[in-house]
Amino acid sequence: MRNSPAIAAAFEMTPGRYPEHTTLGLYRDVLSQALREWHVRPGQLDGLLIPPADMAADRPDVLMHERFIDELGIRSVLSETMFAGGASYALMVQRAALAIADGRAEAVLCAGAGKFPKLDLDTRRSMSKIFQPQFELPYGPTIPAMYALLATRHMAEYGTTAEQFAAVAVAARRWAMRHPQALMRPRGEIDVAAVLASPMVASPFHMLDCSVPCEGGGAILVTSGEVARRICAQPAYVRGMGEFHSHGYQSQADEFGVSIGAREAGRQAFRTSGLTPGDIDVVEIYDAFSAMPLICLEDLGFCGKGKGGALVESGAILPGGELPLNTYGGLMSFGHVGDASGLSMIVEGARQVMGVAGERQVASAATALVHCYGGMQADHGTLILAREA
Amino acid sequence: MTDPRPVPVPAASSAPYWEGAAQGRLLLPFCSDCARHFFYPRAWCPVCMGRNLVWREASGRGTVHTFSVVHAAPAVGFEGQVPYVIAVIDLAEGPRMMANLVNCAPEAARVGLPVRVVFEQRGEMRVPQFTPADGY
Repeated sequence: MRNSPAIAAAFEMTPGRYPEHTTLGLYRDVLSQALREWHVRPGQLDGLLIPPADMAADRPDVLMHERFIDELGIRSVLSETMFAGGASYALMVQRAALAIADGRAEAVLCAGAGKFPKLDLDTRRSMSKIFQPQFELPYGPTIPAMYALLATRHMAEYGTTAEQFAAVAVAARRWAMRHPQALMRPRGEIDVAAVLASPMVASPFHMLDCSVPCEGGGAILVTSGEVARRICAQPAYVRGMGEFHSHGYQSQADEFGVSIGAREAGRQAFRTSGLTPGDIDVVEIYDAFSAMPLICLEDLGFCGKGKGGALVESGAILPGGELPLNTYGGLMSFGHVGDASGLSMIVEGARQVMGVAGERQVASAATALVHCYGGMQADHGTLILAREA
Repeated sequence: MTDPRPVPVPAASSAPYWEGAAQGRLLLPFCSDCARHFFYPRAWCPVCMGRNLVWREASGRGTVHTFSVVHAAPAVGFEGQVPYVIAVIDLAEGPRMMANLVNCAPEAARVGLPVRVVFEQRGEMRVPQFTPADGY
């Protein structure tokens, strides 16, 4: 792309509990800490992309970019409160990269913070807006069960097993043990038996097949290559981008054993990058539930359809393996920070390519693929990041 | 005690569907222009956006396309139902719809299970549900 858009800096709060903060308070922490850590002043930014706050609440706060361009004192050429669930941030990076390639912007801040809501009666009621009111809601849908519909179908079509889904959770924990900020690191490693022995939530998902709710946030700075090289030693250039929206309500998916969005967004990302799955060194896939990375790996082209179970069981996704997956622990072991959940895998993909992933750094990480989805698999965004523009 | 589960609120585009259900009939919207059924009911055909829609009574037969058994963290109003089965049904007429598997032990749920429609009282309404077909 023209002007070599790149992730120049990435920041993430330690996921946890921040009872002293409202969501807006978390945002202020994220913004101030990120800019301080990066040695970037607000005046150097010319764009801000940010999601609505408290999407699970009855009334989300949608006047976010107006508030924060004002508080930061930014005069911007590109600002928007934009939302596509867990895919929001992947799409923000794409919007920023395109504006930079077009010469319209130079340094766009993408930020998010979230509190995974306490599941009290009011919150559970207001969260049910993601389900079709007449044709899903009367049947008692839950988010785990709606994702489980894909997993069950995958098992029936391809013979995938609960042990293979569990292997994804086990690998995530192994990686989390190498990340000082990971929420589940103090709990230690887990094995397949522990996943299968944890309480069943919605078959085939056990508790340890599910992501871990917490609070936090992060930020990503997308700049032109020229600006990025002044800010960091090794930018993570945005080499490929893809987006797809496959359905609105989960019961309306065209296929269930498949992530259509990963297939289509992934295809675009590979086409625009000129790379193939064989060229990718590190993979970060949104893992609300253990089955999703397994299914998405297939649909992104990392193995044949139906071969994801064998792939994750082979050890390829573990530290030292050939296809390192969710090298920071993923949402299952790093933590699922509510509305900001779609940021952490981009932060990690960028850090791996920048070579700043510490103890968990994959030695040969010249390229990373990040795939995010949200809105009950409706929204998909894929990024391919690379050391070379 | 009244049933705490949500009662569907019909829209103009779906009123015949719910009136049919109240009479124990599963009515599907059918697009006269593309000559096909679709689901869920809405103001137009999702393929051609045509509005020449008619309602056709379905056979009520189908098979389980996929499912999940909810054991924990149930939906609001479903606290007393755990464990319950959420399923997506392939209707004989082509479209897919969500329902619960009722009168079916959760461990008997499986992909491909033949099912037939039944109607469950919900407030003043009746909600289509599916149960294992005769002989299973």
